[in-house]
Amino acid sequence: MQVHDMENAGRTQTFLTARRAGLVACRGCGAVHAKGVGACRRCGGTLSSRDAGSLQRVWAWLFAGLIAYVPANLYPMLVTTTFGKTRESTIVGGVIELVEHGSWGVAAIVFAASVVIPIGKFITIAYLALSTRIPVTIRGHGRQRLYEIVEFIGRWSMIDVFVVAILSALVQLNFVVTVNPGIAAVSFALSVAFTMLSAQNVDPRLLWDAYEADDT
Amino acid sequence: MTEPGPSDLDVSVAKRSPWRNLSFVWAVPILALVVSLALAWQSFSQRGVLIEITFQNASGVTPGETTLRFRDVAIGTVEDVTFTPDLSRVLVRARVDKDVAPFLDAETEFWVVRPKVSARGITGLSTVLSGVFIEGAWDQEVGAPQWQFEGREEPPLVQPGRAGKRITLVTNDGNLISEGAPVFFHGIEVGRLERPRLTITSDSIVVDAFIEAPHDRRLNAATRFWDTSGFSVSLGGAGLKLDFDSLASVVAGGVAFDTIYEGGEAVSAGHVFNIYPDEAEARKSLFARSLADAVPIAVEFGESVSGLEPGAAVQYGGLAVGEVTAISAQVQDTEFGPEIRLMANLAIDPARLGLARGAGREEVLDFFEAAVAEGLRARLAAANLFSSALVVELVDLPDAAPASFDRTAEPLPVLPSEISDLPDFTATAEGMLERINQLPIEQLINQAISLMASVEALASSESAQAAPDAVVALLEDTRSLVNDEATRALPGDIRAAVAELRSVVTELKEGGTLKSLASALERADTIAANLETASAEFPALVDDLRAVAQKANSLEAEELMAAATRVLDSADRVIGTEAARDLPPALNAALDQVRATLSELRDGGAVENANATMASARDAADAVAKATEGLPELSARLERLVRQAEGLIAAYGHRSDFNDETISALREVRAAARSVSQLARAIERNPNSLLTGR
Repeated sequence: MQVHDMENAGRTQTFLTARRAGLVACRGCGAVHAKGVGACRRCGGTLSSRDAGSLQRVWAWLFAGLIAYVPANLYPMLVTTTFGKTRESTIVGGVIELVEHGSWGVAAIVFAASVVIPIGKFITIAYLALSTRIPVTIRGHGRQRLYEIVEFIGRWSMIDVFVVAILSALVQLNFVVTVNPGIAAVSFALSVAFTMLSAQNVDPRLLWDAYEADDT
Repeated sequence: MTEPGPSDLDVSVAKRSPWRNLSFVWAVPILALVVSLALAWQSFSQRGVLIEITFQNASGVTPGETTLRFRDVAIGTVEDVTFTPDLSRVLVRARVDKDVAPFLDAETEFWVVRPKVSARGITGLSTVLSGVFIEGAWDQEVGAPQWQFEGREEPPLVQPGRAGKRITLVTNDGNLISEGAPVFFHGIEVGRLERPRLTITSDSIVVDAFIEAPHDRRLNAATRFWDTSGFSVSLGGAGLKLDFDSLASVVAGGVAFDTIYEGGEAVSAGHVFNIYPDEAEARKSLFARSLADAVPIAVEFGESVSGLEPGAAVQYGGLAVGEVTAISAQVQDTEFGPEIRLMANLAIDPARLGLARGAGREEVLDFFEAAVAEGLRARLAAANLFSSALVVELVDLPDAAPASFDRTAEPLPVLPSEISDLPDFTATAEGMLERINQLPIEQLINQAISLMASVEALASSESAQAAPDAVVALLEDTRSLVNDEATRALPGDIRAAVAELRSVVTELKEGGTLKSLASALERADTIAANLETASAEFPALVDDLRAVAQKANSLEAEELMAAATRVLDSADRVIGTEAARDLPPALNAALDQVRATLSELRDGGAVENANATMASARDAADAVAKATEGLPELSARLERLVRQAEGLIAAYGHRSDFNDETISALREVRAAARSVSQLARAIERNPNSLLTGR
């Protein structure tokens, strides 16, 4: 109850932000400058109170990631040639196959890494980006937590690509078995990279602004 | 209330053009979009044509994996395997590369390639590992495109687009003809048979064959096909003969063809040929080639047709004019109840009968009608001397029982027949066998056996085994005899004996003895005459007389005779001696020796001597005969002399010693006279005895 009160009390509080104080902090070195200064005198980074292009870039990278994700799912991820027989497996096809073979655990990992996480990231980033503009109320520090999770988990999506890369490098037994990466592997890697960039371009200050805006 | 704090800043952002506001990062998604769309467009535009192939079964065909190949290069992939709506066939959907698709037209064939082991080898071995694939074949021309196909169960023997000619073969025996069997021309494989099939309307078997170019040019109306399946073993005068074409044709069958006469017309694709059982039949078919437009007639036989078979020749004057097509028995009702008639159906070739080309059924029947009226009859005849096979012979029998050609008979016109004068070959053979059976072969053999046994016993007896030894010994003896000094000396001895004999005879001839005897007697006579006066001389006379008598008594002929006898005896002994060795050389040597001895004899003049001796002996005999003529007179004179002497002695009157002496002398004289007369008689009876001693 107490905590609840404190939170609520905190929420009603008006913080003195750098912006309100007419200052601009350098995102590179943290040095504070007066408003109107174009570049950081210490590290030379560009100074802006709020990154106006941030959301644009977020959306752009997000769309690029989405576009790359389509062929990543339609085209084969792995091209396996066994005794002259060529098998092409897409991401979802591979998961289904693993399930059919009874490897539930591996299937779950692959499914999570290749489907759930990327799609979750798309949704999360899009939501975060939207929530800075559209007045939605998120309790507590939800936005910040989501952002941290997205930032943290993004790189793990590359697990698929690594598997494919390692398999392709190792399993080259000529006629017996050969594994080659398909177009989907490249697309997927690009998709993951784009979404990571997208997440990186989110300006946390906007999230905090939105947080504060929730109260008003 | 107011606290000092930073003044509120006007944070309104300067309104910039929304375009200028755009981040360059937007280029990335646009680029990605463009690339993706390009990729999509590319794969869509590269996407092949979806075709549908139906198969009886699609074992091993897997969607997404099974490839579609043309000349062993993948040109597409199976995307879907389902059933046709009525579930009668398997429907395979496959995507074929765009650049190949236009070639797919009605000629196109698809089949599933699977591993297959056949008499001609193993095919599709690669599919054991890689899985089956669908092979397609089509020609090199773009036709009206088609996307629905009916797949084959087996690879086509002839892939579309190959040059050649497809023909149809007809046979009655599909036993040894299988799909894919080779077609040979002079032992070279020039084509393949397709799947044999039964015709619906008849019992014959039809099989399509494809003859590859350029060998298809060898096909014409004169071409005959025959079966080379399996192998044939024949035992003939040339020994055992094993005949087969190739191992593949032994297993899978095969046909061969050749052009058997010149000038056959060219044939088009789809021409129908017959398959003959073997090459000989095929070549023989030259004579039967016009049997196609033969006229069927029937013959009713009143005798057994055992030995007559369909295909037997119908001969007219020794020339085959047709053949027997069927033999049947028909029950006909007659006034004596149902009767079984034996019918033979004949196919008569009008051209062979000498009828004009193009003569039809009516002409043939007209011909038969006229010919039957003049005595043409059908009868059975033996095909050849050694078989019981029969042929139908059309013969002119002018004095046959009248009959007519029933051209209205159903189902076929009936030609009258005549009982054949067929020698009952079986009966003849039986008779011959019987005669052979009656031959006293067993007796003969028994005799032969006993003869053999005797010979064997004789040969195995010790004496027979010793016989050669004995013969050898005999020859040895002969040789030793011939070699013997004594034998060698024999010719000399004989010569000497002959000479002696001759001297004796000469002596006789010269009549020395006889003359001296006669003179002696005369002298004796005179002496006797003088005795009366001079009896003192008497004893000497008596001595003389005795000597003469003795000499006459001991004529050497007797000695010769004895010697000859001795020689013979010794010869006997020589031959009878036991030692005997080394027959053949001894025989030769002995013969040589004998020959030498004989030549020696001849050289020694023995024969001449003997001849001369004979001549002398004859002379002597003549002389003796002459002398003998004087002998009776001599003995008479002796008698008279003796009587005179007795009278003389009686005149003496005293029985003195002288008297006795005289009497005995006279008695001797009388004996001598008797001897002389005996000798004379003997010589008269047998003059030769003087020589032979008998």
